[in-house]
Amino acid sequence: MTSKPRFTRRAVLAGSGAAVASPYIWTSAQAQAGSAIKIGIPAALTGPLGTVGQQTKRGAEFYAKVQNAKGGILGRKIELLIEDTAGNPANCVRKAQEMVERHGVKMFTGLTLSSEALAVVPKLAEWDAIFVSGINGDGRLTADSFVPNFFRANISGPMGARAVSLYLREAKVSGVYALGLDYAWGHNSVQVFEDEMKRANKNFIGKIFAPTGTKDYSTYITKIRQSGADACYLVLQGDDNNAFLSQSRQYGLPDKVTLLTEIVDLASIKAVGDASLGLVGSSRYSFSYDHPKNKEFVELWRKEHGGGLPDTFEGETWQAMQAIQAGIEAAKGTDTAPLRKALESVEIESIKGKIKFRECDHQAVQQGFMVKVVKKDGFDTPVPEVIATFPGERTTPGCKKTSYDN
Amino acid sequence: MRWSTVVGLAVLALLIAAPLGLPAFAMTLLTELVILGLFAMSLDLMVGYTRLISFGHVAAYGLGAYASGFMLLNSSMPLPFVVILAALMTGIVAIGVGWVCTLATGVSFSMLTLAFAQLLYAIAFKWTSVTGGSDGLAGIPRRAGPMGITLLTTKTGFYYFALACLVGSFLLCRKLVASPFGAVLRGIRENEAKTLALGYNTRLYKIAVVAIAYAFGGLAGALYAPFAGFANTELLFWLLSGQVLIMVIVGGSGTLIGPILGAAFFLLLEHQLSSYTEAWALFFGLVFIGFILFAPEGIWGLATGWFKRGDAAAKAKGSLHG
Amino acid sequence: MSTLAFLLNQSVNALSQAALLFFLGVGLTLIFGIMRIINFAHGALYMLGAFVGYSLVRWTGSFWVALAFAPVVVGLVGWAFELSILRRLYRRDAHAFLMVTFGLALVVTEAVRLIWGPDALQVPAPKLLSGVIFLLGEPFPVYRLFLAVSGIVVAFAIWQLLERTRLGLLIRATSQNAEMVHALGVDVGLVRSCVFGIGCGLAALGGVLAAPLVTASHSMAATVIIDAFVIVIIGGMGSFLGSLIGALLIAFVQVFGNYYLPDFALAFMYLVMLLVLVVRPGGLLGKEA
Repeated sequence: MTSKPRFTRRAVLAGSGAAVASPYIWTSAQAQAGSAIKIGIPAALTGPLGTVGQQTKRGAEFYAKVQNAKGGILGRKIELLIEDTAGNPANCVRKAQEMVERHGVKMFTGLTLSSEALAVVPKLAEWDAIFVSGINGDGRLTADSFVPNFFRANISGPMGARAVSLYLREAKVSGVYALGLDYAWGHNSVQVFEDEMKRANKNFIGKIFAPTGTKDYSTYITKIRQSGADACYLVLQGDDNNAFLSQSRQYGLPDKVTLLTEIVDLASIKAVGDASLGLVGSSRYSFSYDHPKNKEFVELWRKEHGGGLPDTFEGETWQAMQAIQAGIEAAKGTDTAPLRKALESVEIESIKGKIKFRECDHQAVQQGFMVKVVKKDGFDTPVPEVIATFPGERTTPGCKKTSYDN
Repeated sequence: MRWSTVVGLAVLALLIAAPLGLPAFAMTLLTELVILGLFAMSLDLMVGYTRLISFGHVAAYGLGAYASGFMLLNSSMPLPFVVILAALMTGIVAIGVGWVCTLATGVSFSMLTLAFAQLLYAIAFKWTSVTGGSDGLAGIPRRAGPMGITLLTTKTGFYYFALACLVGSFLLCRKLVASPFGAVLRGIRENEAKTLALGYNTRLYKIAVVAIAYAFGGLAGALYAPFAGFANTELLFWLLSGQVLIMVIVGGSGTLIGPILGAAFFLLLEHQLSSYTEAWALFFGLVFIGFILFAPEGIWGLATGWFKRGDAAAKAKGSLHG
Repeated sequence: MSTLAFLLNQSVNALSQAALLFFLGVGLTLIFGIMRIINFAHGALYMLGAFVGYSLVRWTGSFWVALAFAPVVVGLVGWAFELSILRRLYRRDAHAFLMVTFGLALVVTEAVRLIWGPDALQVPAPKLLSGVIFLLGEPFPVYRLFLAVSGIVVAFAIWQLLERTRLGLLIRATSQNAEMVHALGVDVGLVRSCVFGIGCGLAALGGVLAAPLVTASHSMAATVIIDAFVIVIIGGMGSFLGSLIGALLIAFVQVFGNYYLPDFALAFMYLVMLLVLVVRPGGLLGKEA
């Protein structure tokens, strides 16, 4: 390779001076002997979901740095191949294919969108590769679209909806409403929530769906107000979530209606400021979890990132990396078949506590958390505070299902 | 033989020989280039030969992809039939689209094509039972057959199939634009009123060219679904309509071969740049601005300029010796 | 909530949305009228306006400063782009403009990400405008009322500019017959630069004003560019009044459509456009395109 100046994206984190992947597509996969452990991360680093992709990147890079400093996994360094998909499934499939065919990658994590994950998952068998999700919440991935080489380390959409529902069972509400984004995730979570509310004999008044990219939420806010509900469940994310929270605050909606949301993350809190105060929601990861491993992680993170706090998908990616490492150590290698078997049986003490993949659909059983956004001393923005936890057995859906039986 | 013919045949020979020498991912990328090239070329029939600028050509790609994806998942028809059938279906739908869009001209025409593409996008989103909604169709197989032929299920076999579709479509399109029909299209491009005055029903010609362009675009989409294994709403998103238009222009419109090169250039540049730097879109944008300023005729213009000089030099040399 | 209160609330709200759409559409249509260019970068410049606004609020603590100067900054960016690049292309066909503004959109979008990072940023509405008022007993955000009023003010100002000033006269004359204006000894290039700059500045104004509603975010560009095209084409390319009518039509259809038929939210705008163009191919107030 020539010594042209290069931007360092295909980050080789191994300090061992492993060969940098050749930039030329006309080269073939390099043999991977006892060298580095390659993990492919085709993520949406740019585009509307760039925030999530960048969190994944930071989480994974920091994990690799810390673990490589300790000698890697089984004495082998972790090498991350991070590529930008801009949130487009066509790019994602192409980049993932390149990682497999040119770089001999056998392990993936960090795909950003569910549509990307759903496009990649059917190819895992052909690629003989394992994919451990740290982000993808679409219930189908561990149900209708389940494949044996897919593992979900993160909390899924239905699990978030379930946590909110369990929380509401105990709460005094006279009527509930639901607003979801008009795509698979929104419909799935709202459905779980509706079933749960009906089972708990709560007054489920109605639901409405908004297309992604909605700029004006006033009609939705009006509908929520007109419904007379005193609690509203939100399945929104990213810019849509921020727009809704800002606008509902301007309408004074939170004074009348308790807003419950499926994901509470710091990026969104920062974007809407005080409009997030009082928001209650399920949380996939928060720096405020009271667990010794988490405290250790947060301290390490803040030291590295100038006092910055790890956000939802930084934590979730960290946990996914922990799962990958535990699997490789149990399998004593990275061969796909033994690794899959190992992942099915390992129990991991992660930053969220004990987690374990179920054998039947590879969903990681883990605690569910409910948080409330509050002002706290020592933080310049509002922060989430844990107000309830639920054991994993109660938040995880039926096997290969997106619904709950009790 | 002219230089361009010699080079053309040489390139074709190289493309046919490619699977012998290229590694796995290069073949993956080459197959995608062939499909995207076909898509861009189909748009050139409208943009380059008839000056019908479509902002919604993605409709053809998406329709083809969903149709072939749905048939491959839900029927037992062999792959080549499915692909051809999907292309024909796209062409038939396009007759209606063309009929409405050609009520307007200029930018209004462009916006009507966009409207149809966006309506299809909304339908794909909502008609979950057929399209899979926002999740799309995944795990689309490359089925064996007809008569148990398994060639197309392999990577190399599928590449040859896609290449055959591209070369076949190219030859058909070239025949088309060289025919009297093509002459009328060029007449519409240069001066529609005059063509109309000469007694041609220009609207019928425009509807026809829309249908044909959509059919070839649908063919590309129908190939993409089994190639990538999925079809989802992203294949109907307006941004791709803009991108394919850029491919046509950057390659050189009204040349058929230029847009194929444009598509290859676009995809390779995006793919490689985005591996080097997260800020790839910045350089990507600058490249297009640079192209407009310094290479107004596009890639094909640059290449043929070079050949023309070659031909002229050869002639000069010939005359010198003669 | 009484029906009357509901209709009043949603109508004023539709006016506020129409204002945002109008800021985009009027710039686009003025640019088209003078230069026959479809500016694909318009959405990106709108987004740039929001982010520049964010920084100005951070530095000065005042939303009003941001409102005044973000459009100027973005207008200057547009003006520089016209001077350095577009100017060389006026003899070329539509393809050249299409590609060059597409390139500009990519460059601006990425530059915003590089400068401000990937996260959405908060631009709070000023204190003065952050409360609610009651319209027939129903709460309505003061900020949206402010948007509706600012839309009316800006529309009036542009109308006066076009009708009453020398620049307005030149703009109208250039859009009718650029060669004649040139023959009269007017620097047509300068008129074009001004219009392009003003158009970009108006987009940025829309961006700053939208920021308290949707935050300064990276999906802003993609979610408005098509809306802006639709407004302009419905009204008739190059028509000032057309862009105003287009913005009102689309805003009302979206607000009430979303309320009564939420399942069709994605499709309304396009159905309206189809209908208008099939009946009047040049748009409501346009000449045959």
